Amino acid sequence: MKNGTFLFLGIFAALAISWAGLALGTNAQIAGVRPYYDQLEDKTFPEPMAGIAKRGRVVYQNLGCASCHTQAVHRAGSGSDIERKWGTRQSVARDYIYQERVQLGQSRLGPDLTNVGNRVKTANEIYQLLYHGTAIKPAYRFLFVEHPHDVEPSSKVVARIGDREVVPSAQAEELAAYLLSLKTAYDYPEAKPFVSKAKEGAHP
Amino acid sequence: MITHAPSTAATAAPSETDLTARKPLGMLLAAAFLWLLVSGGLSLVTAIQLHTPGFLADCAMFTHGRAQALQETVFIYGWAANAAFAVAVWILGRLSGAPLRGVGLMTVGTFFWNLAVLVGLVAIAVGELTGIPFLQMPAYVHPFLLVAGAAIATPGILAWTGRRITTMFAAQWYAVAALLLFVWSYSTAQVLLLASPVHGVAQAVVAAWFAETEVSLWLIPVALAAAYYLLPKISGRVIPNYDYAPHGFWTLIFFASFTGARSLVGAPVPAWIPTLAIVCSSLLLFHYFVLGLNLRAGLAGGRGNPILSFVSAGLLVYLLGGIVTAVFAFRGFAQIVQFTFFPVAQLKLMLAGAFSLPIFGAIYFLAPRVTGVAWPSTALIRAHFVLTVLGLTVTVVSLAIAGWVQGHGLLDPAKNFAAIAASTKPWLLAATAGEAIFLLGSVIAAFHFFRLQCAACRGLLCGSPATLEASAS
Repeated sequence: MKNGTFLFLGIFAALAISWAGLALGTNAQIAGVRPYYDQLEDKTFPEPMAGIAKRGRVVYQNLGCASCHTQAVHRAGSGSDIERKWGTRQSVARDYIYQERVQLGQSRLGPDLTNVGNRVKTANEIYQLLYHGTAIKPAYRFLFVEHPHDVEPSSKVVARIGDREVVPSAQAEELAAYLLSLKTAYDYPEAKPFVSKAKEGAHP
Repeated sequence: MITHAPSTAATAAPSETDLTARKPLGMLLAAAFLWLLVSGGLSLVTAIQLHTPGFLADCAMFTHGRAQALQETVFIYGWAANAAFAVAVWILGRLSGAPLRGVGLMTVGTFFWNLAVLVGLVAIAVGELTGIPFLQMPAYVHPFLLVAGAAIATPGILAWTGRRITTMFAAQWYAVAALLLFVWSYSTAQVLLLASPVHGVAQAVVAAWFAETEVSLWLIPVALAAAYYLLPKISGRVIPNYDYAPHGFWTLIFFASFTGARSLVGAPVPAWIPTLAIVCSSLLLFHYFVLGLNLRAGLAGGRGNPILSFVSAGLLVYLLGGIVTAVFAFRGFAQIVQFTFFPVAQLKLMLAGAFSLPIFGAIYFLAPRVTGVAWPSTALIRAHFVLTVLGLTVTVVSLAIAGWVQGHGLLDPAKNFAAIAASTKPWLLAATAGEAIFLLGSVIAAFHFFRLQCAACRGLLCGSPATLEASAS
């Protein structure tokens, strides 16, 4: 290979093809996905995230939670996500259309969080987990603040140290609101398991 | 059949390229070794956190997510980028047969690159990470890195366009591709992921594309350029089946970036994307085959030469990593190892092995030529090689086994996370030991490099012409 121009154009073409195929092609395909309107409920799904939960998404991102938790339920038969009750259906592209930064996650050192809002009922449960941790989940005490309990009595106390009480910081409250908001509330047509026509019409 | 002449540089005077490259290459390599030490320390922290989750958990800047983002960033933009730029520009300069032009730009670029990396790391530590693999620093840092990177790459591109020798060697193809593809893919990713993010899960596809491009089309080509340059240069033998080399090159360039989406098997993205990635992972086997065919003489081992040992080990690791990637891209295997320590082991194999080992070899070859001073100790080079290969082997094998065990645990719905963690703990402890060994090797390499630099500085201050003695080559 002696021709420098050929080398330059070849390298450029290779990257341009992969960029056009993967980046532009996928974006064109995904950009067409719109919220789903349900006539019976007279609502569109998914619903946009509330303000405090939106701020909590940034806390989730900034703490690097996605390095240990995923947010994508795989279909039945591909892993044990459904059997582990991380969701009742597989995640689909429509679930993510309102997410400014999609965080599918890199590993599963902890459970998938796609539907953690269905599994955990109150913010206090999340505070307890964040403050005390478990054998496999570290305690993130920097997300909490201490104050004398006669100054500002709080219903969010997670622990008492002497005459001081430990309450969640604003960051912890935002994170808890975000985690509680994580739930797939609607079964979109494309999320239903594929059944081949032959099988559908076959005799039992 | 075109190769390079055997090296006689061990006794020759520094070339024009070496003289002009002395300052910027010295800066790049000094920064690279400092970041390598920081990266090694952070690798140790993240490795400990995997089996002892409470380790440094009370410190906000060392949550596992942030520590991992810091480590990844330091390794890629600190160690790997500085070293890759140095080696690529030096090879292009050497093969152009002319002095490097634009070295002032390179020096300024190096300063700003490392300053931007430092700012980005502080930002990650205080909680401004983006959560995008290989692009963890906040959006405002990346444009500075892009401009600085382009400035550092400029002398390499100028050397290639203004080369006196019209024939192009395989080392030049890979080095030029690395420099060009870095600038193009990095700028594209910044626009599509940070400045004007694409819609929904398309972000995950672009992120996977970018991560693969960074490894396979920026860093790895520099390591391959080093291998194509050093093996014939040191051994004095021609490259066998050199006519096939362009096919291997274009296979990598055209198919590698498509393979990144193999990590999205089962993800909520169009099914054709991971399928295409699996197909391209298999097509890349042709690239590995050609590489093996061309550089098989090097695969036989260093035969006592420490530089050849580094390059040979790196090539072996690259071929092994490529085969493992092709096999484990298939859905049956991917479903087991996805989201486990196995992909971590694969990435480690490619970055710390396939990339870093040939780059270490190239640094051991070029540093005495650029500084005009021989390495103080061949024993230290050998110690670095042994510790690096041992540390890498222990870490990668342990993480791969841990990932396999973890993957089977995740597939069993009756097995909870505490039980999975308990079953992987012995392997994670072994991986920590491997990281410690690798770090020890890096400490020796950095110490040795700075001793060489001090000797070169003393030589310059005393005004006596430095002696280029028989070095490791």
